[in-house]
Amino acid sequence: MKTQFSRRGALSRLGGAIAGLLTLSAARTVKAAVQKVFVSSGAPKDYDPTKHKWLMCIDVNRCIGCGLCVEACKKENGVPEGPYFRTWIERYVITKPEPGSGQTRGETQVDSPNGGMHGFPELSLPKDKIEHSFFVPKLCNLCEHSPCVQVCPVGATFDAPDGAVLIDPKYCIGCGFCIQACPYGCRFLSPVTKTAEKCTLCYHRITRGLKPACVEICPTQARIFGDLKNPVSDDPVQKFYENNRVQVLKPHLGTEPRVLYAGLDKEVR
Amino acid sequence: MRRFKLPPQILRLVLLTLAIVGSYLIARIFLTPASFGEFGWYRGEALVELRSRTPVYAGKQACDECHSDELRKLARFEHQTLSCEACHGVSRDHADNPDVLPVKLTGSHCIRCHEANPSRPKWFKQIVVKDHYSGKCTECHVPHQPSQTP
Amino acid sequence: MTGEITNVVVEVLPRFEGYVYPNEASLHPLWGFLIVLYPYITGLVAGAFIMASLVRVFKVKALEPVYRLSLLTSFSFLLCATLPLLFHLGHPERCFEIMMTPHLTSPMAIFGFVYAWYLMAVLLLELWFDYRHDLVQWAKVTPGFQGIIYRAFTVGVTDESPPAVALDMKMGRILSVVGIPSAFLLHGYVGFIFGSIKANPWWGNGLMPIIFILSAIVSGIALCVFNYMVLTWIRRHTVDMRCLDTMAMFLFYALVVDAAVEGLDWLHRGYAAEEGFSVMQIMIREKLFYTLNLGQVTIGTLLPLLLLGPLQLLRRRVPELVRRRMIFSSAVMVLIGVLAMRWNVVIGGQLFSKSLRGVMGYKLEFTGVEGWLMGVVLLSLPFIILTVLVKLFLSERLPSGGHTPRDSAAGEG
Repeated sequence: MKTQFSRRGALSRLGGAIAGLLTLSAARTVKAAVQKVFVSSGAPKDYDPTKHKWLMCIDVNRCIGCGLCVEACKKENGVPEGPYFRTWIERYVITKPEPGSGQTRGETQVDSPNGGMHGFPELSLPKDKIEHSFFVPKLCNLCEHSPCVQVCPVGATFDAPDGAVLIDPKYCIGCGFCIQACPYGCRFLSPVTKTAEKCTLCYHRITRGLKPACVEICPTQARIFGDLKNPVSDDPVQKFYENNRVQVLKPHLGTEPRVLYAGLDKEVR
Repeated sequence: MRRFKLPPQILRLVLLTLAIVGSYLIARIFLTPASFGEFGWYRGEALVELRSRTPVYAGKQACDECHSDELRKLARFEHQTLSCEACHGVSRDHADNPDVLPVKLTGSHCIRCHEANPSRPKWFKQIVVKDHYSGKCTECHVPHQPSQTP
Repeated sequence: MTGEITNVVVEVLPRFEGYVYPNEASLHPLWGFLIVLYPYITGLVAGAFIMASLVRVFKVKALEPVYRLSLLTSFSFLLCATLPLLFHLGHPERCFEIMMTPHLTSPMAIFGFVYAWYLMAVLLLELWFDYRHDLVQWAKVTPGFQGIIYRAFTVGVTDESPPAVALDMKMGRILSVVGIPSAFLLHGYVGFIFGSIKANPWWGNGLMPIIFILSAIVSGIALCVFNYMVLTWIRRHTVDMRCLDTMAMFLFYALVVDAAVEGLDWLHRGYAAEEGFSVMQIMIREKLFYTLNLGQVTIGTLLPLLLLGPLQLLRRRVPELVRRRMIFSSAVMVLIGVLAMRWNVVIGGQLFSKSLRGVMGYKLEFTGVEGWLMGVVLLSLPFIILTVLVKLFLSERLPSGGHTPRDSAAGEG
């Protein structure tokens, strides 16, 4: 045994360490407080996220499946080519039942060729065999209790105060947990940035008073967008939820999706 | 009085633990981004960064600045719900510099929406293109006022 | 007018059976082979530790010969546990964020702390308390670099007095007790990562963490059997049959419990037949047929049960050599079966669409970060580390003294 441990020596070293820690953390708190008061975060502070609550609604009865929205989204947000979609269109074709089978419906076929980006190819089925057919645009459901935000290990994806669910591309570590947790399949891992990506409601547009690209481009107003905290006169979102009986996707999962659909069918997942 | 003597193993381990936990706490101070926690469990700066991206599409109100006559005519007929860029394509460059012309339109733009398709809703005007007409759409229809003839 | 239609270039995406969401239409799932390996490795860590704790906590004296080997096994696999995760991340250089701003609602956020706790506060400490006395003595007699290593690991505490040694034993026992829930947490949180995903019916249920822990215990015991027999064979010693038979007994009963709980999961799925059941049936039949029926069930469960079960009743009737072969082959089969189980859970959950209408596929590449080769490398690495550790800390030439009784794997000559 070389040195004798003196309790005093050890305790004084310990005390010094604790004091140092406390000083540092106190200094840090002061620095943060000063920053908040005096230093601007670098951009004009004319957008206050707490003063808005954005919502998109979908009227399935109005979608014509032209795919202009999918294309516009890819262009607006620089979404990579390939199976990466921030929004997409699904086509549902429900056939008539076999006569005498005692069924109300035949088969349901769903497809989304390239997300519907270039429209949909002709159906091989003759018209008289089809009972129902319609297009369903899909996007981030802006959940109240987002499972994706719940599972992010580092705080890279979050519910913004104005209702958008966003991803911080500089902080995301690319673990993919949020992509697995989203029940609606609206997230993907970008092969370019190696981070998770999803519909941002065109955050860079809506905060400037513009509409999301898909809403802008939709020819039939199947996508309805608005600010619940600042409704305009004849607000389309207000009219939508007041005049329609609406549905949401996968309500049984408890995610409380805010995107409202009118005209869904029981076959839509 | 019996003097309590901390066993050497415990003392060394406690010091080691404090050193490790201490360096973790110090690292945490320096490695956590400054704006973290501003609105919630994320970098507040991210909101600013996300909204600083430059928009690609100009938007219908940008067209209104110079083409308000066309837009007034458009608003009276069936294509009033269309945005200019739905057919004319991304026109930001044109909005910034009118000498740069937007995309030249062809009939494929009309067909994309109006080709008859059993999945399209019944209220929407659709035609089976090959049965309808084999020439140009614009021979009988005015794009901005579709029910009018040229 | 038809002449005016310009050619539209359509990207040709891979086709899948049925309908899958466009974002799911990729050739390989998001969580690939690396994420299959991670639960496998942490399962082995937790299981090997449970094996060791059987000696200290449950006082199973027959297992004393494998006590140190189990701890060293657990340690060498723990050192490699983060590698699959680091290689899988899109931004591994940001991995420290998980400890700087851990999002407390995420099970994954617990990883950094649980790993650090288990590594330092449980495994290293328990190893240290068990080895300290020996390290002090070895440091005195070993020259050169190896001697420096021993001295360094004593952390300067060279007190060899009986009270100090008694304290070492007491602390070791306390740490073994603390270690059991820690091991459960280390591997259980992985099960909870899957169990918490309500969006995926293959994963999201409450049995998932329990099944993970049980199969971890099974795989850990099997690994200790494997390592013990291989080490004894390399050193040309005789196997301590009492130890081996006891390990086989624990392996058998752990396997019975594991099979029962997994069977319960299957039973419930089939009975309740919830919404996703039909697409999951298709997925199992088409994509998991061999890994499930052959790998997990037959090789991993049925055959080991058939081999080990009779041994519990007929141990005396079966000659030693035959018993050794049966136990060894059971251990190898269990190790294969648990890897297959991890594959079935992780990959299986990603082979059907969340639209519940389609099925995807996975072609495992040979090269690349998520390929076969990387998997082989990552699984070999712990064994290489273990070899070094065994040479240093289970050496036959150095006397193993103190409170640890004769370790027949280390040997005394």
